[in-house]
Amino acid sequence: MPEKIYDAIVVGSGITGGWAAKELTEKGLNTLVLEAGRSITPDVDYIEMVPVWQVRFRGLRDRKRLAEEQPIQRLGGGCDEWANKFFVSDKENPYTTEPDKPFLWIRGRQVGGRSITWGRQSYRLSELDLQANAREGIAVDWPIGYRDLAPWYDYVEDFIGVSGQAEGLAHLPDGKFLPPMPLNCAEELVKQAIARHFPGERLLTIGRAAVLTAKHRGRLACHYCGPCHRGCMTRSYFSSLNATLPAAEATGRLTLRPYSVVQNLIFDAKKRRISGVRIIDGQTLRALEFRAKVVFLCASALESTRILLNSATPEFPNGLANSSGELGRNLMDHTMGGGASGTLLGLEERRAIGNRPNGIYVPRFRNVKSKHSGFLRGYGFQGGAVHTNWRRGIEMSGFGADFKHMLRDPGPWRFTFYGFGECLPRRDNYVEIDKERVDAWGVPVLKIHCSWGENERAMLKDMAITAAEMLAAAGARDIEPFVENNPPGLTIHEMGTARMGNDPKTSVLNGYCQAHDAKNLFVTDGACMTSSGNQNPSLTYMALTSRACYYAVEQMKRGAL
Amino acid sequence: MERREAIRLLATAAILPVFPQKLVTLCRGVHAQLAPSAALRVLNADQDATVTAMAELIIPTTDTPGAKAARVNEFIDLMLAEWYPDEDRARFLAGLADVDARSRVAYGKNFVNCDERDQVAILTALDAEVSRLRESEKPSDLSSKTPPPTPSQKHFFHMLKHLTLIGYFTSEIGTPSEERHQFLDLYRPCAPLHGEPKAS
Repeated sequence: MPEKIYDAIVVGSGITGGWAAKELTEKGLNTLVLEAGRSITPDVDYIEMVPVWQVRFRGLRDRKRLAEEQPIQRLGGGCDEWANKFFVSDKENPYTTEPDKPFLWIRGRQVGGRSITWGRQSYRLSELDLQANAREGIAVDWPIGYRDLAPWYDYVEDFIGVSGQAEGLAHLPDGKFLPPMPLNCAEELVKQAIARHFPGERLLTIGRAAVLTAKHRGRLACHYCGPCHRGCMTRSYFSSLNATLPAAEATGRLTLRPYSVVQNLIFDAKKRRISGVRIIDGQTLRALEFRAKVVFLCASALESTRILLNSATPEFPNGLANSSGELGRNLMDHTMGGGASGTLLGLEERRAIGNRPNGIYVPRFRNVKSKHSGFLRGYGFQGGAVHTNWRRGIEMSGFGADFKHMLRDPGPWRFTFYGFGECLPRRDNYVEIDKERVDAWGVPVLKIHCSWGENERAMLKDMAITAAEMLAAAGARDIEPFVENNPPGLTIHEMGTARMGNDPKTSVLNGYCQAHDAKNLFVTDGACMTSSGNQNPSLTYMALTSRACYYAVEQMKRGAL
Repeated sequence: MERREAIRLLATAAILPVFPQKLVTLCRGVHAQLAPSAALRVLNADQDATVTAMAELIIPTTDTPGAKAARVNEFIDLMLAEWYPDEDRARFLAGLADVDARSRVAYGKNFVNCDERDQVAILTALDAEVSRLRESEKPSDLSSKTPPPTPSQKHFFHMLKHLTLIGYFTSEIGTPSEERHQFLDLYRPCAPLHGEPKAS
């Protein structure tokens, strides 16, 4: 029997793999999606409706089991008693670091990947971000500008549905928004105070979230239960499982194969092309090969780079498509956790009802209009106001009837600004293959070398100061500034390691996420990023993926691929 | 392809036409992880009686049920059996024995046999010990998401109160109404503090 040759293979079924599957199948390509993990059946596996009294440890999580099976994954906020099944086993998926340089790699291996548990915040990069490397002479220039991305942001937003408020900022471009979610009364108060005290510099807006506020392309509006990362039976937030994979399936041209752990790509040195993908079946441990005309790596930044590093050939001894030597280099993650909290008075008789799965956003204001002396680039704040609940009683004196009745009512409003900052690309933040270790499927693992630099640390300190300033302007009491000491990786925005660039000598991919060294290879997840911006990056990955798919299919039609 | 079931999984991703209030109930039934078991595994009958009595004093029955009705003692036993490290469990059980030692010194009998007034006096003293420890501590370490427990948090009575509040306020009868609104299918950003919202 002749070997089947697919038009395309997509590695990964998460936020970018889903987009590649949708775009390529809709453009007529018979597409095989290889997913390393298991199937997810939304009707069975989504558990957002399970109340706290029906989970064994009442939300305190299965401490001993997590310590044994998921000691790293548990450090990410979403790995709770409901949703820890959407994060990998650290036993099966090891990686190594230098002893004094921790890196936390939070992963999801299942159909849908981390798009099931992502934070859904969706912001555009701007010319300010895309020109930053060129302006400052750092790393290499982005090969594309905002003009190249804008129509693809439009295209992606129109499909996924992003609720948000247009603000007319050049450095945080507006998108095609569904109606914004409302600010609660305490957030409204802080918004007004910021507008009064920092006019023309800072503003507070509602988060731009890939959560529907109106029925959109057949999916229902949010029902405000809150914990999106446990799934959503109304498919109201965007994930590949909720939207792009069903669209791909509807074409009849999608083949989705779970339990397909990619070991390496096969490079045809004569034809200068990827000829196939070698996998280990996750259940039988059998090695299998699949063939296609074009291959999209959408496995997440570090997994895609790991596959390329594990695909070394005599010609590319340091990893496939690595003639530049930049593969694995320039690893970035956003810094997070500089900020401040404070108590807002005067709103004791008001409360918010329902759980809004979204918070506030303060767009970047450092190094926008004037240059800051302490660091390059900038950060944005997320967070918001919540009513403290009965948990405050744990650290209060008292017991008995009055204590109980006091705790039944919400406590004071507490407002938190939580910063997310840009990370500069540095060559000495890098990954390599650890030749000593393999994962549960026999695939060599990554050794990750990553630490924050001076610029990131300076920015974190500034976050605590500016957050406290805004709380003070709003009249908050008990203001607590903080600078968390979070290792890189924990923001789960890891990116870079196969950067785009104009020059094949200094970059792995061109402006279409196409490998300089192999024309039919595309890497469209976070690996392709040339710099990080400070915005949550998934929207950009989706825009880059759909743009790369369009380009690849056009090239195939012309016979150029 | 060896596994065609891969395709099937997406076929279930049908879009629900309206907010499925009935589905919520159905799904909750399917996913219920366990019925609480009546047999305790760590606490013996005497210890259980002391825990039950102390928890009920922390969260008593008033116009709504209290800790006893919410079976907080069973939750505490589960936590001691499956959650806490050995040293924390030992500290909790030692603290429990100390409660009886105090009541025998002060009132000549075990805690559960004391008058409620005397029981309250013992809890008041324990609560004050925790408060004094807390006040002597430096502000909590904000540089870590998971700072290690402080001396006040390691105190037996802090453990008991912590477990009682969690066990009560996350129980089916104790969860405050505002947290029960999980599936009202609405968001009101600035509602009056009191007054029940209506489902849309």
